[in-house]
Amino acid sequence: MKRRSFLSWGTAGLVALWSAVGVSLGAVVRFLTPSVFYEPPQNFKIGNPADFSFGPPTFLAEEKIFVFRDREKGFAVASAVCTHLGCTVGYFQSDERFHCPCHGSVFGSDGTVQHGPAPRPLEWFEVTLARDGQLRVDKDHAVPASYRLMV
Amino acid sequence: MNLIRDAWQSIIRRDPLSTDKGKSELVFLNVWLHIHPAKVKKENLKVKHTFYLGFITFFLFLILVTTGVALMFYYRPDAPHAYQDMKDLQFVVYLGSFLRNMHRWAAHGMVICVFLHMCRVFYTGSYKRPRQFNWVIGVFLFLLTLGLSFTGYLLPWDQLAFWAITVGTNIGSYAPLVGGRIRELLLGGHTVGESALLRFYVLHVAVLPAVATLLTMVHFWRVRKDGGLSRPVWKLKEAKSAELVTIGAPGNGAPLAVVPASKDKTYGLMEVVTGKPIFETVSMEEEEDTVFSYPYAFFREGVALLVTVASVMAVSLFWQAPLEELANPAKTPNPAKAPWYFLGLQELVSHSALLGGVIVPTLAVLALIAIPYIDLTPSRRPADRKWAIRAFTLFVVVNVVLIIVGTFFRGPGWALVPPWVHIVGAE
Ligand code: HEM
Repeated sequence: MKRRSFLSWGTAGLVALWSAVGVSLGAVVRFLTPSVFYEPPQNFKIGNPADFSFGPPTFLAEEKIFVFRDREKGFAVASAVCTHLGCTVGYFQSDERFHCPCHGSVFGSDGTVQHGPAPRPLEWFEVTLARDGQLRVDKDHAVPASYRLMV
Repeated sequence: MNLIRDAWQSIIRRDPLSTDKGKSELVFLNVWLHIHPAKVKKENLKVKHTFYLGFITFFLFLILVTTGVALMFYYRPDAPHAYQDMKDLQFVVYLGSFLRNMHRWAAHGMVICVFLHMCRVFYTGSYKRPRQFNWVIGVFLFLLTLGLSFTGYLLPWDQLAFWAITVGTNIGSYAPLVGGRIRELLLGGHTVGESALLRFYVLHVAVLPAVATLLTMVHFWRVRKDGGLSRPVWKLKEAKSAELVTIGAPGNGAPLAVVPASKDKTYGLMEVVTGKPIFETVSMEEEEDTVFSYPYAFFREGVALLVTVASVMAVSLFWQAPLEELANPAKTPNPAKAPWYFLGLQELVSHSALLGGVIVPTLAVLALIAIPYIDLTPSRRPADRKWAIRAFTLFVVVNVVLIIVGTFFRGPGWALVPPWVHIVGAE
């Protein structure tokens, strides 16, 4: 074999080899990324407006949300997932704030961070009235803390 | 009779011990003798040089593999079953709780011993030329040990497991750009659920043990290729002793004369080597310092193995591995704590997730890896490396203090609560 053809074939071979390695790595990452998530839906109904009382928010454990109902202002839904590391916060009536048990973050009743390491306020989700008269929450749709649904 | 003898020989592959060939084959075919040099320096066998910590770590790993495989016979990695199977292991399966205890305590022990081993290697300066790269392999073994513990932590699927992993994987998602993606790959979803359990299981029982085994083999091989264990600090000579030359280490010795390869011979090696072989040069005085690996080193390693196994068994008889309530994604226990060896990290994270959870740990690992390449003073004597020792000691102390604070001084809501104060009705 001539030197020149050896070099060019060799280079081509190396390029092919490394491309194959690269493509395979990409395929491995893609393989590990689930194409389907068997997780609870992000958009769900939570019941009739009449099911919710006025006063302190109702905590829905499965959905990890707080449902606020105010006589004048209407409905609002806050996330119960702490923005720091994902622990579930609790609402304390005594000081009307959310407290995170993991690292002590404290959020005001409007979700703003008042204390602790949480980097962002609690999220608020869009809540609408479904056709059958039930409340529908869309976790994929964040709204400002001022958002209210009047029923 | 011939049949049985033939069958026996097909298994052990050596001639009967009554023959000289058989006797020598007993030596040549023995794996443990294969990874030991024929002779070792006498001083290196002293407990006060290594504390046998590397061996103890390795033996704990062996215990973990053995008990882990036993547990696998009764464990199903899916959400309701995993917890039930743990309960079964604890209350129904014969020896189940004992094996589970052994697995749990050996895992904690391995984290402790691998750390202490790293400290021993540091303080004796054994990461210096030509052992730099073995230190780097060691750092990866350290990370793998943590990874094995972390993935194992989720498997009981109790409250402790669920929230420790929720918090732990959320720390990872603070890594810029790739963080969320890494967490998604690790969990196979967006929250800790069934797919996360399965992924952690596969990592824990297959992927990480395989990688750890491989790296351990390389680690041992390099200990030998680096000329055996480093000389104990108290045997270091006052004057700069003649440097040992080791195969594979970039030599400072005279360059080899280039001799053309013989024409009438076909070489089947990867490289053709000519000239005088470069081996460790052993002077007469040092020769007298050595003893045969068998039985001297073997005996001591055997004792270390027995002590390790007996200790783990004894601890497992008296202390139960914890198992809390079934994992409940809706209710975060208060306080929710990561496994103890990550509590230092959690303590940092409680101040800032990005800085404490990502930047500081990443820098710490990089610094560990870089140690042998930064600290270039050839001397291994403590008096000559005061600053290196101070810096490393600071690193160790900060780690230990953070872990102690996280473990004992953090109460509900991560408030500072001394361990002697008991909070009633903390929810
Ligand atoms: C799974 C984890 C590990 C195992 C099973 C292991 C095992 C061993 C063993 C059996 C030895 C022989 C002597 C002794 O007992 O000290 C050794 C030596 C050594 N280890 Fe490890 N090791 C591990 C992790 C580490 C770590 C985390 C480091 C450092 C970051 C490290 C660095 C070294 C070095 C540099 C030597 C050579 C020491 C000398 O020549 O004196 N190893 N290891």
